[in-house]
Amino acid sequence: MLYDLSLHMGYTYDVPASGARHVIRLLPLSLPDRQRLIAGSVTVSPATDEKVTFIDFFGQQATSVLVRAPHDRLDIRMQARVMVEAPTMQADLSPTLDVLRKELAEVWSVDPSSPHHFTGSSPRLPEEPAIAAYARQAVKPGQTVREIAAALCTRIHKDFKYDPEATTVDTTPKEAFKLKRGVCQDFSHVMIVALRSLGIPAGYVSGFLRTIPPPGKERLEGADAMHAWVRIWCGDALGYVELDPTNDIPAGSDHIVVGYGRDYSDVAPVIGVLKGYGNQKADQAVDVIPVK
Amino acid sequence: MDEEIEHDPILGYAALPGVADEMLDARGEIKPVWQNLIAHLSRLSEGDLYERFARADRYLRDAGVFYRTYGGTGPGGTGERNWPLSHIPVLIQQDEWQNISRGLQQRADLLEAMIADIYGENRLVQEGFVPPQLIAANPEFLRPLVGVKPVGGHYLHFCSFEIGRGPDGNWWVLADRTQAPSGAGFALENRVATTRAFSDIYGETHVHRLASFFGAFRDALQSRKQYPDDRIAVLSPGPANETYFEHAYIARYLGFMLLEGEDLTVVNNRVMVRTVAGLKPVGVLWRRLDASYADPLELDQNSHIGTPGMVQALRSGSLTLVNALGSGILETRALLAFAPTICRRLLGEDPILPSIATWWCGQQSEREHVAKNIERMVIGPAYSRLPFFDDNSQSVLGSSLRETAKDTVGDWLASEGAKLVGQEVVTLSTTPTWVDGKLTPRPMSLRVFAARTENGWEIMPGGFARIGTGDDVAAIAMQSGGAAADVWIVSDKPVSKSTLLPPEESFTRNMPGSLPSRAADNLYWLGRYIERAEGALRILRSWHLRYAESADPNAPLLADVTRYLKSIDMDMVKAVPEPLLANINSAIYSASNIRDRFSPDGWLALTDLAKTAKRFHEAAQPGDDAAHAATILLRKLAGFAGLVHENMYRFTGWRFLSIGRHLERGLHMTRMLAHLSGPDAPDGSLDMLLEIGDSVMTHRRRYNVNTARLTVNDLLALDPLNPRSILFQLNEIRTEVEKLPNAFENGQMSPFYREAMRLHSGLAVMTPETMNEDVYRRLEKDLENLSDLLVRTYCS
Repeated sequence: MLYDLSLHMGYTYDVPASGARHVIRLLPLSLPDRQRLIAGSVTVSPATDEKVTFIDFFGQQATSVLVRAPHDRLDIRMQARVMVEAPTMQADLSPTLDVLRKELAEVWSVDPSSPHHFTGSSPRLPEEPAIAAYARQAVKPGQTVREIAAALCTRIHKDFKYDPEATTVDTTPKEAFKLKRGVCQDFSHVMIVALRSLGIPAGYVSGFLRTIPPPGKERLEGADAMHAWVRIWCGDALGYVELDPTNDIPAGSDHIVVGYGRDYSDVAPVIGVLKGYGNQKADQAVDVIPVK
Repeated sequence: MDEEIEHDPILGYAALPGVADEMLDARGEIKPVWQNLIAHLSRLSEGDLYERFARADRYLRDAGVFYRTYGGTGPGGTGERNWPLSHIPVLIQQDEWQNISRGLQQRADLLEAMIADIYGENRLVQEGFVPPQLIAANPEFLRPLVGVKPVGGHYLHFCSFEIGRGPDGNWWVLADRTQAPSGAGFALENRVATTRAFSDIYGETHVHRLASFFGAFRDALQSRKQYPDDRIAVLSPGPANETYFEHAYIARYLGFMLLEGEDLTVVNNRVMVRTVAGLKPVGVLWRRLDASYADPLELDQNSHIGTPGMVQALRSGSLTLVNALGSGILETRALLAFAPTICRRLLGEDPILPSIATWWCGQQSEREHVAKNIERMVIGPAYSRLPFFDDNSQSVLGSSLRETAKDTVGDWLASEGAKLVGQEVVTLSTTPTWVDGKLTPRPMSLRVFAARTENGWEIMPGGFARIGTGDDVAAIAMQSGGAAADVWIVSDKPVSKSTLLPPEESFTRNMPGSLPSRAADNLYWLGRYIERAEGALRILRSWHLRYAESADPNAPLLADVTRYLKSIDMDMVKAVPEPLLANINSAIYSASNIRDRFSPDGWLALTDLAKTAKRFHEAAQPGDDAAHAATILLRKLAGFAGLVHENMYRFTGWRFLSIGRHLERGLHMTRMLAHLSGPDAPDGSLDMLLEIGDSVMTHRRRYNVNTARLTVNDLLALDPLNPRSILFQLNEIRTEVEKLPNAFENGQMSPFYREAMRLHSGLAVMTPETMNEDVYRRLEKDLENLSDLLVRTYCS
């Protein structure tokens, strides 16, 4: 699939902000045999006083910008054309949990692709006994890691209600788990905590999802949003598998990857520090348009 | 004669069984290096000795040496406690010290090689020397710094080590400190205090001086500057930090700026300090805050004490950090288990000094070893950066477990092993300390410092000894609450007596560097709060004097003044009211942010003022009692003002403090005149104004008439010679503002200077008849605007 992506994030400040420094992570990745960034740009208004791009630890392109003068509105725009290959079906080559543990111990690497980054806890994801207990219930003896992950994905999709009003970007997995509600970020965080509690390395994927309008309806412009799903290390042979608990599907050619991390904090699309005292309001519009 | 023998401090001193002692050798004889000190101590009477101890304590108190403790009662829930000096130094012979130094130099090289590998090639993991989890799951593994090579090539510039002597007499490394090692400044203060007590003994013992170590490190940091106008600064988390005193002390001692994260900003990949003269580049930062707080943009997003963009500046290679961000990972307890093999792999040598035996329980055979030897183990969190003896709440002593609990240790280690380490319990040596009138053996460990210089690692000849409180010699007993002692490294021959003061022939007069904006802000507000307290006290005193006569708080004048006090947020619930205390505390808070620029005397005067005010707040009764209290407090305030006036160097910092005082005094007088000098003001208002304005005598001498509105206006608003008049304040402000940086921009007055001029000349041409409430109210607004303008121009 070939996509044209556009995203617009706007921030309005009650009291003008100044000396605003932001790190922006919005451009899709290029991934061999899976996804190719053909063209892409990130623009910021008002005009930036400084703009530096760098590649972060997990390989994502980040743009660091500074807007020095006072401003009451900040607009960030991303446009990109991306080619996404249709995934090929893979046989389940993943081992059982005990074997996974042994295979993990044999990975002597802390390269960005090493599964060791995705075990234990991470800045946003401490261990949660309640989620660990929930995870244990989903496991049946003799299941492969891939089967366990798929079962958890289905289970979370079934037990949780999609509800954008219930949570915010700062909601912890513990709270979301108690509510059994939330958005893609909450679904993914809960699933990651659950998988890690079983000893399965799991990370966070930020990206875009092409939404398909209901039959007979027009696609609404700007109605899409950024999306998140889960990346699971399923052992030596199978490697990483991506599952989307919000929709209970494997990530496929409708999923466009922007970044990989341990949790949301590694891939937050915009991290900002500014001098300002008043409140701020944010708005967002995303379009994922299939070209062909 | 008998009495002297009774007091001989050495009588009854004996090493504990199976424990090494610093003073006694294996046969119980006093080691040669101690003999002179002990001979001296024996000759001193107990009274002499206490007199000497008191001298040392007095020095520490007068120098304002303190240690902040969390959970106290001061601002932000913290308190300060005096530095706990154990007066008897620990003496070590130079040859033995040389061996320790060689061991620590090697260890510092090892740590540098490890950190370079962890943030670089990662061969230690690939080749199986370090388990990948210990890096990847480590909160101190800062991914944004991976691949960022430090300028000059070195990650580490300053480290400290905790070492202890085992029963066989050999030294062990108990812990490495690389994140933001503290204590070097306290070692200096220990030295000064201890030599106050034993100047004669110190003088005739060949003790290595500490100054050359600091001098060499200062020179090394100087040589790290890439541009001649680069500043060097100590970066502190701020006054709430437990070792803030030391940050201020070190900065002052070495002549570096003391900065906090908000003093800094990043411009085009360079870190700059905000000063009253604009942004100035910083080339070297001696970092005393934990790395994750350093940059909220790329590290801990919740940090309020960091500098956004600092990591970017590091990527571009414009800044040297001591030590590099991410160095804290070397303190991870579990990594100690792998240090010996890593030493052989990276340096091709065996460690000269062994480190405390450590087993990471994420590996099966290690786990089994720990379970089998649980009696000799202390078990704690694998990723903890605290040495186990500073971490009693999280570390478990195997021998303290109940028998039933010991059986389940295996299960515990099997399920949680990757998060745990076992460490062999170390028995420490003892050293003589003075307890209840005699020398008593107490366990000790040493903190030793290493600085990277042009010639490689230099080890401080000394350090400080941590002394345990009881006679439990297990290292885990070394918890907080102990004392610290000076460490004397003694040579057989005379040592060089270097000092950091420059030799006389190289004398130059250095003008102070640019004042950081935050320091200017704190000085300005210190001036304002102090003056605000004085203004309030003057009104309160007059109020209580009159109340003492009439005993009627509803008399028109008293009721009117009460209303005025309310309008400036001064309630009268207590005779010495709460808001006054809050005011003084605000002054102390401002002062605490600039301890490096503040004399210990000034600080003592301020804290004494606060203590006295609190006592009066609790006890003073309305009337004469409260008036008397106000007089005492005013006298203490005058004492503080005198210290500032007589002793503070008249440069930019002093100007901000001074402008603060004059502006507040002008505001105070303007408001009082607006309220009390009108035609409707109650009887006695004008007399009270003169009293508050300390101008009763002058008025009598100058006007020879009864108090009248015009004469009061003249004397308190317009008289340029009366140090309490509004015009006097404006004149002083104008004079100071003229000397501030950037008062003229391109040959033109800055907006701030112009406004100060305008207010001054505007008032100077007024006559007493034209002064009325409206004019005063307008002036009040103008003065408030002038303050805003000052803060905007210089303090943000």
